[in-house]
Amino acid sequence: MTTATLAVGGSARRVLDAVWPPALFGVAFLVIWEGAVKVFDLKPYFLPPPSSIWAEFTGNLTLIRDAAWVSGANAFVGLLVGTVLGVAVSFLLMRFRLLNDMVTPLAIALNAVPIIVLVAVFNNMFSSTSEIPRRLMVTLVVYFIVLVNVAKGLRQVSPIHLELLRSYAATPVEVIRKARIPNAVPYLFTALKIAAPAAVITAFVAEYFGGPQNGLGSRIVSNIAASRNAVAWAYVVGACLLGLTFYLVSIAMENITTSRHHTSRGDDSRGSGPGGGTT
Amino acid sequence: MRSELVHPAVAVAGVSKVFNRGSANQVDALVDVDLVVAPGEFVSLIGPSGCGKSTLLRLIAHLIEPSSGNVLVNGKSASQARLDQEYGMAFQQAGLFDWRSVAKNVELPLELKGWDKKRRAARAREMLELVKLGDFVDHRPWQLSGGMQQRVAIARALAAHPPLLLMDEPFGALDEMTREHMQAELLRICDETRTSVVFVTHSIPEAVYLSDRVVVMSPRPGRITDVVDVDLGRDRDDDTREDDAFYRKIIEVREALRNGGHDTTVDHETVDPDAVGHPLLGVDDR
Ligand SMILES: Nc1ncnc2c1ncn2[C@@H]1O[C@H](COP(=O)(O)OP(=O)(O)O)[C@@H](O)[C@H]1O
Ligand SMILES: [Mg+2]
Repeated sequence: MTTATLAVGGSARRVLDAVWPPALFGVAFLVIWEGAVKVFDLKPYFLPPPSSIWAEFTGNLTLIRDAAWVSGANAFVGLLVGTVLGVAVSFLLMRFRLLNDMVTPLAIALNAVPIIVLVAVFNNMFSSTSEIPRRLMVTLVVYFIVLVNVAKGLRQVSPIHLELLRSYAATPVEVIRKARIPNAVPYLFTALKIAAPAAVITAFVAEYFGGPQNGLGSRIVSNIAASRNAVAWAYVVGACLLGLTFYLVSIAMENITTSRHHTSRGDDSRGSGPGGGTT
Repeated sequence: MRSELVHPAVAVAGVSKVFNRGSANQVDALVDVDLVVAPGEFVSLIGPSGCGKSTLLRLIAHLIEPSSGNVLVNGKSASQARLDQEYGMAFQQAGLFDWRSVAKNVELPLELKGWDKKRRAARAREMLELVKLGDFVDHRPWQLSGGMQQRVAIARALAAHPPLLLMDEPFGALDEMTREHMQAELLRICDETRTSVVFVTHSIPEAVYLSDRVVVMSPRPGRITDVVDVDLGRDRDDDTREDDAFYRKIIEVREALRNGGHDTTVDHETVDPDAVGHPLLGVDDR
């Protein structure tokens, strides 16, 4: 009991230690920004001060929230479908080695290419009021990130584990259940940590390519076009908060599973833990 | 009458193993190997790197197939013996599953045998007490030291009470003190469980301390060049390591290793002790 309390106290302390330096920096940044606008008499169309952005943010809170809901739903649906597809196909790749050798290099390459431009093509395929092109775009981005990582987790099982399972006369299905899937779990969460912010960014940017004008991305564009700069910035704040939410949720999910599965061990005997997104 | 009393624990007859046959990097890993391990016997395989020790062990375990010859384990074909979990195996790396608790690691071979939960848990606890880790049932593998992890691996290898234990340099990564402690523990456990062992090692003292017989191997091509009987009795402890008889056996194994592959007969009277080298140094320590 006492050790648990100590651990909680310790981690709260660590969170605090990690939070205050960037928080201090952020506050200082806002103060300097506000001061610079005043001192150099910058025009609002060039750069509005944080105080008026904040005023627009609180004043338009329901509008911003509704727009965030639209963009967030696009990101969420794409994240969900892309993850399910990515996991499903990585199982296929595990099963068929040749397919894996063909698809994996392609998927890795696609992760490094700005495939978001495809949304213009998707927009052309559906009606102008449809959210489908954006969701399709998010799905595609998430799909490749999840595919590359989970396929790696399913494949890169310790050779010793495989030999042990063979010595226990394990069937191929048992090898998948006892070694490959548990091994891939941390890889999935690494993928989600990369894919969650990517999903939100993709959802915003996809709105710049046309389609219905109801999300945060579209609102930023339309407010800039109408010279309502501070309002546009207020939507930018909303976009940042939404991206942060997605990221924090993915980290929280990872923490919950890692505390059950692999906790921070000093050395990884397999040499390579869950890797980055696109390598 | 129990079947393992009738059959040898291991019977390897005329076994050869060629890797990459016909290609430029063909390796004759083993040539014409014969080896019989009696029930309850402790046999070590020793020899320089690349002489085929691991290959021989993996053939017995049916992790690979021989190119020619025949392997029987407890009277069954190697493949049938593997399917029946007639042996347990341990490697230099403990190879524990990080996402499982210590007890669940030990239970894994039993899960694959289809044992029910209660029986598995009872056996895992029994095995962990045998290796003196009864207090660590719910720990995670990465919370244990290297020596403790290796003991979990041994408990796992013995969980199904197999009549045979196959070990490939299981103590190779441990420090000397832990290593000697583990050797004594292994002898105690094998005596208690009446398990036969085939044990691969680089260390001459380790081989002599543990074994009833030391099988000396030599590379290019991998083969058995000598077998040294270690008649030091079954009750071995730390004093055994300081025995004259122990030193003499070490020198005997060392000479067998030096002469491995060459057909020079050694005249024991004329051997210069310095030429033989320090008896406590391992093969690869030179
Ligand atoms: N799967 C394999 N493919 C090709 N060559 C192998 C393979 N396994 C072992 N060898 C070769 O067989 C020889 C014996 O290897 P091994 O049994 O591992 O030796 P030891 O365990 O005595 O060091 C070595 O030359 C090694 O390179
Ligand atoms: Mg070896």
